[in-house]
Amino acid sequence: MHTAHSHEIRNPGKLEVSSGIRNLFIALAAVGVLVMIVAWTQDPKRFWPAFVHNHFYFLSLAVGGLFFAVIQWVTSAMWSAPIRRLAESFTSFLPWILVSTVVLYFGLKDIYLWTDATKVQGDLILEGKAGYLSPNFFMIRLVVAVLIWIVFAKVMIGNSIRQDETKDPVFTAKNRTWGPLFLILFAVSFTFTSFDLLMSLDPYWFSTMFGVYCFAGLFYSTLALLAIVTIAMKRKGMLEGILNENHLHDLGKFMFAFTVFWAYIGFSQYMLIWYANMPEETGYFIHRLTPSWKPVSAFLMFGKFFVPFFILLPRGNKRSEKVLWNVAWFMLVAQWIDILWLVQPEFYSAPKLSWIDLGTFLGFAGLFGLSVIRFLSKHTVVAVGDPKLPESVFHHHQ
Amino acid sequence: MSNGQLSVSTDKQIAGVLGYFDDPHSLIQGMSRVRDANYESFDAFTPYPVHGLDAAQGLKRSPLPYITFIFGVTGFLCALALQYWTSAVDWPLNVGGKPFYSWPAFVPVMFELTVLLAGLSTVAGMFALNKLPNITKKSFDPALTNNRFAIIIEAPAKVEDEVESAKSNFKPFGESEAADFLKKAGASEVRTVYQEGWF
Repeated sequence: MHTAHSHEIRNPGKLEVSSGIRNLFIALAAVGVLVMIVAWTQDPKRFWPAFVHNHFYFLSLAVGGLFFAVIQWVTSAMWSAPIRRLAESFTSFLPWILVSTVVLYFGLKDIYLWTDATKVQGDLILEGKAGYLSPNFFMIRLVVAVLIWIVFAKVMIGNSIRQDETKDPVFTAKNRTWGPLFLILFAVSFTFTSFDLLMSLDPYWFSTMFGVYCFAGLFYSTLALLAIVTIAMKRKGMLEGILNENHLHDLGKFMFAFTVFWAYIGFSQYMLIWYANMPEETGYFIHRLTPSWKPVSAFLMFGKFFVPFFILLPRGNKRSEKVLWNVAWFMLVAQWIDILWLVQPEFYSAPKLSWIDLGTFLGFAGLFGLSVIRFLSKHTVVAVGDPKLPESVFHHHQ
Repeated sequence: MSNGQLSVSTDKQIAGVLGYFDDPHSLIQGMSRVRDANYESFDAFTPYPVHGLDAAQGLKRSPLPYITFIFGVTGFLCALALQYWTSAVDWPLNVGGKPFYSWPAFVPVMFELTVLLAGLSTVAGMFALNKLPNITKKSFDPALTNNRFAIIIEAPAKVEDEVESAKSNFKPFGESEAADFLKKAGASEVRTVYQEGWF
C-alpha cells in the first residue's frame, strides 16, 4: 500500500505467440470443423448431441469470463486486478457462440423430441408446453441471450481496454454502474439458455434448480480455465513483478468455494427429487443410475467434488503453481464430463466417446484458443489502467 | 491507567519496555529489527490487524486449521454413525419404502455436524492457543486499542529466569538497553511498563 507511490508497475505489453502455437490452434480448429462437417453429413443422430454438449461447454466458458470480470467491478475487488484481463479475453469467443447457436437451428429436429409435431400431438404434457417449446421461439430466446452477452462484453470490456491508455478511473465507475444490470440479465438469460439447451432434451422433466446447477458448473470451469491461462502467462514471464503466489492463493480459494457450491447445488437438486420420489421427476436420475451410467454419476460425486475439494483444502496447495495447474486441468475435464452426463443419457443407454465427440471438442477448443490468443495479442495482458492494480501488486507483496 | 514512569519505586514487577510507533509502516520496520535482535520475548499492539506484521514478527503458522479439520471430520463421521445406528440398526423404520440405510437422507445432518464441530472447535482452539480469556494481564494503555501502535520487549517473568536467560542464546534483557534499542528501531516514545492484573 504505502510503497505503491514509489514503484512503477511494469507494462507487460501484448501477448506474442510463436507461429508454431498459432498454427497448432489453426490446425485443431480446421480438423475439428472438418470432422463436424463429415459427422453432420454422415451421422447426424450422433453428431448433434455432441454439438450441443460442446456448444454449451464453451458457451459457459465464454460468458463465464464476462461474469467473472463483472463480479470484480461490482465488488470493487482489488486482489483480481492483475488477472481480470485474462478472464475478459474469454469473451472474445462470444461471436463464435452466436454462429454455433445459428448452426444449431439445423440440428433441432435431430435432438429435441418436442420439434416432432407427430409426437407432440395427443401428448397432454407436450401439447401444454408447445407454446414455449416451439422452434422459432426457442431460437429467438437463444439468440437474444447471446446478443445480450455480446453487447455487455462490447461495452464493458471496451471500457476496460480504453482505460489502458487513459488510466481514467471513470471507466471503472461506469462498469460498476452497468454491472448489476448485467448480473440480473445474465442470471435470467443463462437460466433460460440452460433450460432450453439441456433441460428440454427431456421435455417431460423439470427442475427449477437446473439453471443454478449449470451456473455452478459454468463458474467452476471458468475459474479453472482462468487459473490455467494465468499460470501459462506467468510461465511465459508476462506477469513478472505483477503476480505472486498470494494472487494464486486467492484464485485457489475461489476454485475451492465453487467446487463446494457445485456439490451443494447438485446434491440439493438430487436429494429433493430422490426424497419426494415423484414419477415425473425421478426418471431423469433413473436414466443416470443405470449400471452403465452409474460410474459416470459416481465420478461426478467423487471426481468432480471430492478430488478438488481435498486437493484445494491445504493452504500450500492453493499457493503452489504446479498443484493449481494440475487441479485446474482436472476440473476442466470434470466439467466436460458433467455436461456429457447431462446430454448423453437422453440419447444413449451407455456413455459414448468417439471421433465425433473428440473432433467436435477440438473444433470448439481450437476456435476458442484462437479467439483468446487474438484478443491477448491485440490488448495488453494486464489491465494496466486499472486504478486497483498498484494496490493489488504491492498490497499482496508480503 | 497509572503512569509507569512515575511509579518506578513501587513493588510492581516490571513487564517490559513499550515503544510507540507513529504508523503501521514504521511499526513493521521496527518489529523486524526487534525480531532480528533475538530478544527472548516481544510482542506488538495494534488497534487493528496490520498486514505483514506476522512475517515481521517471525510468527509461525497457527496450528488452528488442523484442529478445525480434525473436528470437522469427526463431526462428519459421528453424524453418519449416529444416523446409521438409529435408522438402520437400533430402530429400523420404513420411510417411504426407502432402504433403512439411505445415505442421501443423512447428508444434511452430516454436513451440519461437520460445520458445527469445525466452527466450535475453531473458536475454542483460538481461545486456547491465545490463552484467552485473560484475567492476569491488564492493557498497558487504552490508546493501543484506539489509535496507537507499539512494540513491547518483555522482561523475563521471574528473577531466577534471568540466570537461565543469561545462559541461553537470547539477547539478555536490560531496561535501559531495550529502551535505547526501541528508539533506534524508530519508536517515537518509550516507557517502562509494569505488570498489573485485572483484580
